[in-house]
Amino acid sequence: MTATLSPPPAPTPTPQAVPEVAPRRGPNWRKIAIALGRTLVAVGGAIVIFGAFMQMKGANPIDAYRSMWESTLQSSDSIEQILVKATPLIFAALAVTVPARAGLVNVGGEGQLVMGGVGGAAVVQWLGTGLPIGLALPLMALGGIIGGALFAGIAALLKLKFDINEAVSTLLLNYVAVDVMLFLIYDAWKDPNGSGQPATAPVPTNEQLPLIGNSSVHLGFVLAIVATGLVWFALTRTSWGFKLSVVGGNPEAARQAGLKVGLLLLSAMLVGGALAGLGGFTQLAGVEHKLRPGYLLTYGYIGFLASWLARHHPIRVALAATLLAAIAVGGDSLQLDSALPAASVNVLMALVLLGVFGWGGKRKAVAA
Amino acid sequence: MNLGLELMAGGVRGGTSILYAGLGETVSERAGVVNLGIEGSMLCGALAAYAANAASGNPWIGALAGAAAGGALALVHAFFVLNRKTNQLATGLVILFLALGITSLFGAAYVDEIITPFTIWEVPLLSSIPWIGDIFFKADPLTYLSYFMVPLIWWVLFRTRWGLMLRGAGERTEVLRTYGHRPQALQYVAVVIGGLMAGIGGAQLSTAYANAWFENMVQGRGFIAVAVVIFAARQPFKVMAGSYLFGAALALSPALQARGVSINQFALNAVPYVATLLVLMLLARRGSDDAPEGLKKVFEMSPG
Repeated sequence: MTATLSPPPAPTPTPQAVPEVAPRRGPNWRKIAIALGRTLVAVGGAIVIFGAFMQMKGANPIDAYRSMWESTLQSSDSIEQILVKATPLIFAALAVTVPARAGLVNVGGEGQLVMGGVGGAAVVQWLGTGLPIGLALPLMALGGIIGGALFAGIAALLKLKFDINEAVSTLLLNYVAVDVMLFLIYDAWKDPNGSGQPATAPVPTNEQLPLIGNSSVHLGFVLAIVATGLVWFALTRTSWGFKLSVVGGNPEAARQAGLKVGLLLLSAMLVGGALAGLGGFTQLAGVEHKLRPGYLLTYGYIGFLASWLARHHPIRVALAATLLAAIAVGGDSLQLDSALPAASVNVLMALVLLGVFGWGGKRKAVAA
Repeated sequence: MNLGLELMAGGVRGGTSILYAGLGETVSERAGVVNLGIEGSMLCGALAAYAANAASGNPWIGALAGAAAGGALALVHAFFVLNRKTNQLATGLVILFLALGITSLFGAAYVDEIITPFTIWEVPLLSSIPWIGDIFFKADPLTYLSYFMVPLIWWVLFRTRWGLMLRGAGERTEVLRTYGHRPQALQYVAVVIGGLMAGIGGAQLSTAYANAWFENMVQGRGFIAVAVVIFAARQPFKVMAGSYLFGAALALSPALQARGVSINQFALNAVPYVATLLVLMLLARRGSDDAPEGLKKVFEMSPG
């Protein structure tokens, strides 16, 4: 399998990142180097501490890390896996980035991803399986966008009409979204021909996202890259993006300057939800092909953390999401090679995040 | 038992773990620190209590271990938020991930362990009062303990000098500093107390309520506690009422199913979360004004 390579996807994000950092009054290389150094030390510390945890559970940390490294980054299979995993994570992270620009904390990526999947599946359920792919995929994507956006819209309305903090409402709505999906899986949309764990009927092959070349990476990854570019453009090069950051900086001043603050907050939340919904759709049409219990579980929270890790800068956010996807894929190797539960990789992920939050490049992105 | 009584009794039974976490979060938020990581503290508390219980055969040792684990995790939150000045909401979520990982790493071994759960103790006389007895006085010891914790926390927060300073740390850090106090030390204590309480809540969940350990068994109760604390405006007695309301919503699904009512289970499972949102809507704009100054900064932050 090592012969099948996927050269284009991996390097694409990097060249975009460079020109973005540069234009602002010349890069301060010294500061960047210090920030980078601190980040590396923080990540190194996380690796050492997690090693100690593994030692406590009787696994040899050196062997575990070696097999994680080898199975994660030295085979094209697992690099493809990382990109597949990164796709919904990038969308989930962007769903946090856009509202954050307006000062909103969207912790609801989890539920919005799920509702995006539900929206996509609804199109298949209602319009049947005979649609031509050129019509089916855009409709499913639209379904996903609507599902995610509507669900985020609830939190936005609760904020605007009832002054309910969006961090709290989106957290609670995540559970509601999962229950809605479970209801559909176990009841209305249950696959009558399915066996074992209940799920919806699979998306027919003619309505699935095509794969790139002969890799296992689906077209959704390209969509995620495009979405990243569009979000970057919208936030940094349009008046909408500028207004959002004014609202995020000082809502009172924005109101006095005549900006329609409520409408801007609503739009930021809707766009965020739409992005997550699109992510839910790509996972449905590109990877899983059906809804099942545990669909995209914890992806929303990991996306949230990716956005914070990169301080809500769209292109860095996509890179951070890919990094976290790599750690998650490494977790699978822990399970296979070191017999540790796959979820234990959450410890490593949390330690890396704490290290970078606490010591990596502080105060650097205040202006961003 | 009729449905109303069953729901109210279930409200206390299922709400107690949320009550502990909510009381802890109340202390923490009064000092100006939001800790979404109490979901993680509950999880670690639930596992530590279960493990210590299985090892010692004594539920009280389990509860102490649960409190210690919850407090230790909250200490991590306190360090990053107070010393490294990281964002409180994001850090809390990371703490939750840390707890998810740690409990899955160490918890798998305990899934089939046998424990000595807290037993139900009926208070003589009081338990024979109609309704009241069934709701409040046929419970496990941790539930009885929680009845004392609510007034205790209230008294400490609002009637002691220490409580006044603690609230000062959440409102006007600089005033406290001017008078030669160390607000950060107070905040540390408050956050750790929050974790200890959430840990006991987790212990109640695994060794008195469910009598089992399974991965991610807290299922959002910590987040609910944070929501309850907000709509209860950080008042201990209101937190108690809110927790029981949520517990009752949790009890709705099994109670209806036992009666053969055929409503979809997942629609019922969503009831507690929707109910919490509805209460937040009904109480809209009331609680927000007396939120500690320090907290407003967290909730109305600018990105970055």
